[in-house]
Amino acid sequence: MTGASKSKPPLLREDGKRLDGRSFDELRPLSIEARVLNDAAGSALVVWGKNKILAGVFGPRECIPRHDESPYRAVLRCRYNMAPFCSLEEHGRSGPSRRSQELSKVISEAFENVVIAESYPKSAIDVFIDVLQSDGGTRCAAVTAAAVALADAGIPMKDMVAAVAVGKVEGKLALDLSKEEDNWGESDNPIAFASRNGEVLLYQMDGQLTRDEIDQAMTMGKAAAQKVHAIQTDALRRVYTRAGEVALPLSLKPGEARSE
Amino acid sequence: MSKIVVPGEVVSDKPERMAYTFSDGQKTYATALSLLNEEGKLVPLEGPYEPIVEDVVVGYVTDIRFTGYNVELGEPFSGFLSSRDSRATFRLGSIVQARVINVDEVKSIDLADARGLEGGWLEHISPVKVPRLIGKRNSMINTIAQMTGCNLVVGRNGYVFVSFAGNHSLAIEAIRMVEAQAHTTGLTDRVAALLREKAGAKNMNAQAGMAGAQVNMAGMPTSQMARGQDDNSQM
Amino acid sequence: MEVQEQLRHNQLLQLLNSGRRADERGSLDYRAIKLQKNPLNNAEGSALCKLGKTQVIAGVKIDLATPFPDRPEEGVLSTGAEFSPLGSHLFEPGPPRVEAIELARVVDRGIRSANMIDLSSLAIPGVAKVKAVYVDLWVVDHDGNLFDAAMLAAVAALSNTRMPKLENDKLVRGEYDGTLPISCMPVTCTFGLLGNHKILDPTLDEEKGLDGRFTLATTPDFVCAAQKTGWKGVTQKDIMEFVDISFKKGADLRRLITQ
Repeated sequence: MTGASKSKPPLLREDGKRLDGRSFDELRPLSIEARVLNDAAGSALVVWGKNKILAGVFGPRECIPRHDESPYRAVLRCRYNMAPFCSLEEHGRSGPSRRSQELSKVISEAFENVVIAESYPKSAIDVFIDVLQSDGGTRCAAVTAAAVALADAGIPMKDMVAAVAVGKVEGKLALDLSKEEDNWGESDNPIAFASRNGEVLLYQMDGQLTRDEIDQAMTMGKAAAQKVHAIQTDALRRVYTRAGEVALPLSLKPGEARSE
Repeated sequence: MSKIVVPGEVVSDKPERMAYTFSDGQKTYATALSLLNEEGKLVPLEGPYEPIVEDVVVGYVTDIRFTGYNVELGEPFSGFLSSRDSRATFRLGSIVQARVINVDEVKSIDLADARGLEGGWLEHISPVKVPRLIGKRNSMINTIAQMTGCNLVVGRNGYVFVSFAGNHSLAIEAIRMVEAQAHTTGLTDRVAALLREKAGAKNMNAQAGMAGAQVNMAGMPTSQMARGQDDNSQM
Repeated sequence: MEVQEQLRHNQLLQLLNSGRRADERGSLDYRAIKLQKNPLNNAEGSALCKLGKTQVIAGVKIDLATPFPDRPEEGVLSTGAEFSPLGSHLFEPGPPRVEAIELARVVDRGIRSANMIDLSSLAIPGVAKVKAVYVDLWVVDHDGNLFDAAMLAAVAALSNTRMPKLENDKLVRGEYDGTLPISCMPVTCTFGLLGNHKILDPTLDEEKGLDGRFTLATTPDFVCAAQKTGWKGVTQKDIMEFVDISFKKGADLRRLITQ
C-alpha cells in the first residue's frame, strides 16, 4: 500500500513475539459498545486495536429505489465506507472506491444468510458502516459491528456473526493481523463465522497458503471468533444494565468497557 | 433469574414452537435480542412491528384518494382506509386510530373503524414495548394518563397520541422512561414516583387537572392479550 | 414527508402559542452540550460534539498541497460535510446533497472570515507546496441544529490539531511538531423561526415544523458569517436581536471548547 516503495520491515521482535508483543494466536484488544446512536434503530461502535468502526441499522423500511425490492423478502443492504480522516496517511477521497464497493457486497451476502427477511416483503434493511479510524482488519471489525447493530435493532436473525482475520507472518500463521502484518505478511484471510454453527459466511484470501495451513487457519479463526462473539453478546446485554443517555463513546480504549 | 439472549442463542434443549425462536429439530434458538424469563418465555427487547388482523393502530393520513386514505403506520408499513369503511372524513396529516382488518401476503394493510385524534402530538416507541406501556390491566397507561391529565392513545404499531391538554411533556417523559426501562421490574412504581415528583409543580401551569384525564387502550383490545409471547407486562 | 412537516408545523405552533416547547426548554436555551476532544488518533485533530441527541464528528487532516494560483503564499483550508446515512433515517448514501454542501460552506465561512487560522503561516518557505487543512464534518446522529453542533466540533478539532513533523519537505506521519496555531474561536447560534416565535437550538422535530432559520457566526468582537434559510422573512429588528443574543450565547459556547 503506502509503503510499496519501502523495503519490508522485520515483523517479529527478537524474543520471537509480534511487533505489538502479541503471541501468534492472540487477538488485539477489542471493545464493543452497542446502542451509541439515537436515530438509528440499532448501532454499535467497535474499537479493535486502532480501528474505530461505527455501524448503524435502519429498517425494515421502504425500499428505494423500487426496482431493488422483492415481493418475497426484505432486501439487506450493507454499505462499508471510509471517512476521509480515518487513516494516518493523507486525507481520503469521499465516495465509494472499488475496494469499498466489493467489501459492501461480500458483507451484505454474509448477513443474507442469517437475517430472517421473509416477514418484511417489499422493504429494505440498511446497514451502514463507517470506518472512522483504520488499522489492519477493518472488514472483520465492520462485520462484527454490523452484527451487533442488527441485533440491537431487533432485526430477526438465525445467528450472530463474528469475524476475524488469520494471516501468515514470517512463515507462521498469525491471528488478527495488524496493519504492518497485513501490508508485509505472506497471506491474509478475513473470515466471518456464524456463531451458532460455525459456518463460514465471508471468506476472502490473498497470498499463498498450503492445504494444511488453510485448515489450521480455519481452526484458529473459529476459536477466536467465539471470543469475539462473547464480547458482542456482552455489549448487547450491557445496553440493558448501563445507565445514562445514548452517546457515542468515541474516546473508548480497546479492551475496556465504557464506564458511566 | 431472567436472562438476555442474543440471536442464535439456545433457549430450550428440545425443539419447541414459540414466537421469536426457530428450531433445527434438536434445540430451540432465539431469533431476536430477547429476555428469557424464569418460565422459559421469550420477550423481545427490540424489533419492528408485525401487523396482525384486529390490531388497533395509530397513524396519520399521508394521501387522500377517491377510494380512501393512505395512513402512515411507521416504516415500513402504511395502511389503506377505504372510504366505505370509514364514516368520518379526514384531511392530510389527520391523526387517526383504526383497526387492522386485513394483512395480505406482501404485508399490505387494510384499515377500518377509524376515528380522528385532535389537539395532540404523535410520539413513536418501539412496537415491542407497547404491551409494557399499557401494563397489566392497563395499569401503566392509566397511571400516566391520570397523573398528567393527558389523553393518551397507544397504537399496537408504536405510535402514541399525547394530547396537548394536560402535562404533555411529562407524559412524554414517562412514556420514554417506560420504553427505556421496559425490561426492568417494578417499573410501574418508578413511573408513578416520577410522575408524583414532577406533576405537583407543573400541573399548576398545565390548566388541565385530573378531571381532564382520559385514556384509550387502543393498542390492547382483549383479543390482543391472547398473543402470549408479546405480552411482556409481567417481566 | 411533506405531510409530517405540515403536521409538525401545526403542532409546534399550538405549543409555542401556549408558551411552551416540547422538551420544556426556554425559547433561548441550548440543549445539553458535550464535547469529546481528540477522540481519534489517525486524524491530526478531531472532536465529537453532542448537542442534545445530535452528534457530529469533526476530523482534521493535514496534508501538503499545491496552493491556489492567486494565493501562492497561503496554505489551503478545505471544509467538507457528509451526512452519513447511519446518522438519520432522512439521509441516503450517495454524493453530498445540497444541505450537506450548505453546512460545509457555512462552517467554512465562519472559520475563514474569523481568520481563525493564519493561512500564511501554512506556507513552507522555499517550497512550492503549502500545508493544507482538511476539515470533515461527519454527522452521525441528526436531531436538529447541525450548524451549531458542526461548528463547535470543527472549532474544537482545529483547536486541538497537531502538526505533523516536516522533514525534507515531506510530512512524517505519526510524529508531531507543535499544534496548529489559531487566533480565535468562531461559534454559531441558530434560531428557528415560526410565526412570531424565535427559538434557539431547534430540535429535528421542531425543524420539521419551522418556517425558517437564522444562523449567525460570531467571534468575541465580530459577526463573521450568517445564513438565513427557509422562506420566512425577517426584519432588521429581528436581526439585531439575533446579533445581541449570539454575542451573549457565543461566550458560553467558547467556554465549552476551552475548558
